[in-house]
Amino acid sequence: MKRTILSFAVMIIVILLVSFLLIAMVGSDIPTSLASFFRGIGGSTYAMAEVLVRATPLMLAALGVSVGFRTGFLNIGAEGQLYLGAISITWLGMTFPSLPAPLMLVLSLVLGFLSGGLWALIPGLLKAKFGLSEVINTIMLNYIAINLVGILVRTSLKDPTYPYPMSPMLPASTNFLHLLSPTRLHAGLLLALVCAALVYLLMFRTTLGFCMRAVGLNARACQCSGIAVSKYVIISSLISGGLSGLAGVSEIAGLHHRLIEGISPSYGYLAIIVSLLGRNNPVGIVFASLGIAALQVGSMSMQRSSGVPTSIASIIMGLVVIMILSRKSLFRCKEA
Amino acid sequence: MELVVLSSFLAATVRMAAPIALAALGETISEKAGVSNIGVEAIMLSGAYFSFWAMFQSGNVYVAVFAGILGGAGASLIHAFLSLRCKADQTIAGLALNFLFLGLTSFLFLMQFGKTTTLPSITVLKPVALPLLSNIPIIGEALFAQDPFVYVLYLMVILLMVFFYKTEWGVILHAVGEAPRAADTAGIKVHAVRYLACTANGVLGGLGGAYLTLVKLGFFQENLTGGKGYIALVAVILGRRNPLGVLIAALVIGSAEALQIRLQTLGSTIPSQAFSMLPYVVTVLVLMLSMGKGHDPAALGLPYERDKR
Repeated sequence: MKRTILSFAVMIIVILLVSFLLIAMVGSDIPTSLASFFRGIGGSTYAMAEVLVRATPLMLAALGVSVGFRTGFLNIGAEGQLYLGAISITWLGMTFPSLPAPLMLVLSLVLGFLSGGLWALIPGLLKAKFGLSEVINTIMLNYIAINLVGILVRTSLKDPTYPYPMSPMLPASTNFLHLLSPTRLHAGLLLALVCAALVYLLMFRTTLGFCMRAVGLNARACQCSGIAVSKYVIISSLISGGLSGLAGVSEIAGLHHRLIEGISPSYGYLAIIVSLLGRNNPVGIVFASLGIAALQVGSMSMQRSSGVPTSIASIIMGLVVIMILSRKSLFRCKEA
Repeated sequence: MELVVLSSFLAATVRMAAPIALAALGETISEKAGVSNIGVEAIMLSGAYFSFWAMFQSGNVYVAVFAGILGGAGASLIHAFLSLRCKADQTIAGLALNFLFLGLTSFLFLMQFGKTTTLPSITVLKPVALPLLSNIPIIGEALFAQDPFVYVLYLMVILLMVFFYKTEWGVILHAVGEAPRAADTAGIKVHAVRYLACTANGVLGGLGGAYLTLVKLGFFQENLTGGKGYIALVAVILGRRNPLGVLIAALVIGSAEALQIRLQTLGSTIPSQAFSMLPYVVTVLVLMLSMGKGHDPAALGLPYERDKR
């Protein structure tokens, strides 16, 4: 126990020291930089809302990743699944622009969940039925999805009146509710919180969730005691991708209102870090996504006012994960 | 006329393939030893940045290549430490590596050059035509009138073919990746072999990264590799972890890229993404078709724990 506390204390000190060092290296003043960092995440209603806006897709995608991880399905493909969700709502809005808003909301969520889920089902099936590594397949499908978006916004989903590769503005019926008017906060956050609650109930309060967790802990033991391992891997991949698909729907319906390239600045990969930091637990993920979002939004503010490059956020995230991975072994912690 | 076009297309293919092939050969060694590193992207970025930096400071290409190799090996050894010493999940460790080096290289770059308005650049390496060989019609120009990195690549493919399949070291490497416990029982130091394999991965990946700045571009920018490290993983699988296969896979991927650039200059209406997507689609298909053949090293991605059963 003592070692655990010590190890976390050392981690925090190392992170602070490294950030101070990096700030000093670019010749910026440490107190002013830190002040602008915190002003960027908590200085105004707008700043706080920005953190929540950024946390929304991270939360949804990370919830998806965590469901996969709990079942032993290493889903690196949240990025691609997110884009598939984004494509689905764009297609829906462009094909049936006159649907009433409530129906549109339900349809876009269902369709987004299914398209993300089916995208993840490909590596899920390949893993469950043929034992193929999901890591490589999900990465491949990320690139395929990103290129697919590139093709679609130049061809069938393109806005013919604009020379740029993007879809037309989607009908207002697809838009999520705006929550706090001058800010960009939208109902996607509520969706993410509801999903967190649902994932908690599913994973810890149902037989399905129990079986999925059991498969993740020891697939061979499950096989021997008659739990159909491949079935649960497939279900888990579907749910995992579906939640990431919802992240894509939320980004389009809440923020962009049209499909453009690069709507996700690596949210899908960040989601894996969020899920790891949140220990694959829905409550942990809610907080971890807020933390990572705050780190990013704060570092952007720091870049604007003190000239510290935003890449500092990426360095710190990488460092945090590396320290978490090496913590137990370096401090000889005996905890489970 | 047609021949000139074909020859320059082939030459472009080789130039596209070289960095991918170098990094993929490194990853092949690492995976054969049982360490799967999806942080090739980080290794390449590190190699690209440090070789650019050294070239800019010293102007000496040997120093620059050496710096690139050190940068790549450094990145790879962080991953090796996490996977071998800490027995961490190798996929997560690779991912963390990618974030760390994406941030680190662009931070260092902006720190040094962010205040200048002109893009800092270095002179790129010139191609060296090999006598006789470069006179072979069509392929001669493409294969043997390239820069020294490409010749290093050819040499590496041959050396690795011999090393993997004709030497005892190759057997040891395979043993560590397939059956670490048996290898340990036979007196092989599993972790030592794995650390060496990871170092080799870093060296070759660093070279691949250095190729991008020293030969291809002559400058550095944020996220310069832009996914080339992941493509290297594709080449490893498409090439079935056979050095020659990896080279051929990299050439196929390179030709898709070269074709895409050619079509863009011709003003084709097909979006270029359709071509950049091809290697990934092909990889998934190949994986599906080669199902059940069990080509992966048996202990790939698994930590070896001496004191556990």
